[in-house]
Amino acid sequence: MDPQVAASARGPAHAAPLLACEGLKKTFNAGQASARPALDGLDLAVDRGDFIVVIGSNGAGKSTLLNTIAGAIEPDTGTLTLDGRDITRLPAHRRAGMIARVFQDPMIGTAAAMTIEENLALAERRGKGHGFAFNLNAANRRRYRELLAGLELGMENRLSTPVAQLSGGQRQALSLVMASLSKPALLLLDEHTAALDPRTADLVMAMTRRLVAEQALTTLMVTHNMRQAIETGNRLIMMDAGRVRDDIHGAEKSSLTPADLARKFKIENDRMLLES
Amino acid sequence: MDLIHAFLNLVPVTLSQSLIYSFIALGIMIPFRLLSFPDLTSEGAFPLGGCVCAAFLLAGYTPLLATVAGALTGVAAGAATALIHLRFRINPLLSGILVFTGLYSVNMRVLGRSNVALFSTDNIFARINPDILTNVGLQIVTFAIILGAVFLVLRWYLMTQSGTAMRVIGINPELAPSLGINPWAYTVAGLGIASGLTALGGALIVQLQGYADVGMGTGILINGLASLVIGETLTGRRTVLRQLLAPVVGAVVYYQLLSLALSLGLQPSDLKIATAALVLVTLGLPFLRERGALRETMRA
Repeated sequence: MDPQVAASARGPAHAAPLLACEGLKKTFNAGQASARPALDGLDLAVDRGDFIVVIGSNGAGKSTLLNTIAGAIEPDTGTLTLDGRDITRLPAHRRAGMIARVFQDPMIGTAAAMTIEENLALAERRGKGHGFAFNLNAANRRRYRELLAGLELGMENRLSTPVAQLSGGQRQALSLVMASLSKPALLLLDEHTAALDPRTADLVMAMTRRLVAEQALTTLMVTHNMRQAIETGNRLIMMDAGRVRDDIHGAEKSSLTPADLARKFKIENDRMLLES
Repeated sequence: MDLIHAFLNLVPVTLSQSLIYSFIALGIMIPFRLLSFPDLTSEGAFPLGGCVCAAFLLAGYTPLLATVAGALTGVAAGAATALIHLRFRINPLLSGILVFTGLYSVNMRVLGRSNVALFSTDNIFARINPDILTNVGLQIVTFAIILGAVFLVLRWYLMTQSGTAMRVIGINPELAPSLGINPWAYTVAGLGIASGLTALGGALIVQLQGYADVGMGTGILINGLASLVIGETLTGRRTVLRQLLAPVVGAVVYYQLLSLALSLGLQPSDLKIATAALVLVTLGLPFLRERGALRETMRA
């Protein structure tokens, strides 16, 4: 098909993907015996409004992919284009205005020694620069109180409590609020419920779906939880050996059953066994 | 009773000096506590500020310019330590050692010899009020005002978006970039400000004492650290204000303790091991207490 026709078929707003990963390669410990490619020529196009769930076995390169998109890891070769702009060599702190992330470890996503409101105020300035105005004032405190009250996490009356005193689930919820506060173009969730107990994980996941839907955030979520993978998102990609092996979207994604996924996953694992 | 009398007589003079040493303790608190960067630059930045100030005064420049020049060379020294660590991934402690070792030669070159007298040069305190150098009461008021001004600026800065962003570097370095905080910029600026304060202390002390010596930095780091940990046991570290007060309160208390130890007959050369032991006990006791408490709960 003529590329222009193909583009218009997907609507003018989708003329170009929001994020394009092209030929991403990354090898850790290059040149040593322990060298292994974490990303091996990965291609991925993320459209505006996509909620992509990323699954794959350990060592498939899921976290490396997210770290590369966030700028924490620089790829050996390949390019990253966000909203038409080449960001391959852009340092992480300069991508933060466009890309927000929630980490797996609840300790990493927030500044523990700071209060809830200090964390929120910092997150709100993501990508806008941190200047010489007071970090906290009556107006933003009021705004944060209302924001947290709407989320029903019981944090709205604890604005001046150090984050260190919150539970892991509350910290992840706060981390999620922080990530969505500055309306990022792209939200990265790196197994953000993996460290939580099942009930809390469900709560954080429900909140994730709500925030993503409300703000129409383009999202990439890595998970090991197959139920989450089935219930969440409009697209599912399966990674193996540093590449995208399967890309399930549209009706196929929405009708995906645990049995389908188990079968596909099994196939991937068998293929891996044969190749290793 | 003579000993106590001698100590009490020294209290005002010691207080006056400790207000200047507060700058050094502040300059040590910023990297150690706010940036979690064990920065040893002060050992070289303190004499650097003093020697540069002295050289400017001897060359006939105004005391204000000489003092500012001294402080600015300190900023450069702190920034150098930060850049060595960031650019070459050298351990923070070693980065500081490299800088202060190198600075010894720089200080020697700047001063021209190992020590110079400044009795005949102009002096920033004499400019403010000629009586300051002889009137201890006036000294204390003047130093308290200068220190208070610096303290308020730091207090204000740490409440700004930028100051809060700097604290994130120390609290959670992994989080900082994802919040759009540039780790390099804040580490360089933070260490620069810290060593600038230490060098300012050096520039002020040479003008107070009337001489500069390339060896004046020896042990300044451990004195500042002792001040900091003593202060923290008194003020705690729960809020930014308390963390900021700790080095000032600590310096005032620590130098009185030194003075007391001297009037009780301790030799000046014995003070270093006394200080080292003090820091060890202050830092080590909470750990032992924690382990003791853990053992109690295990037994229970």
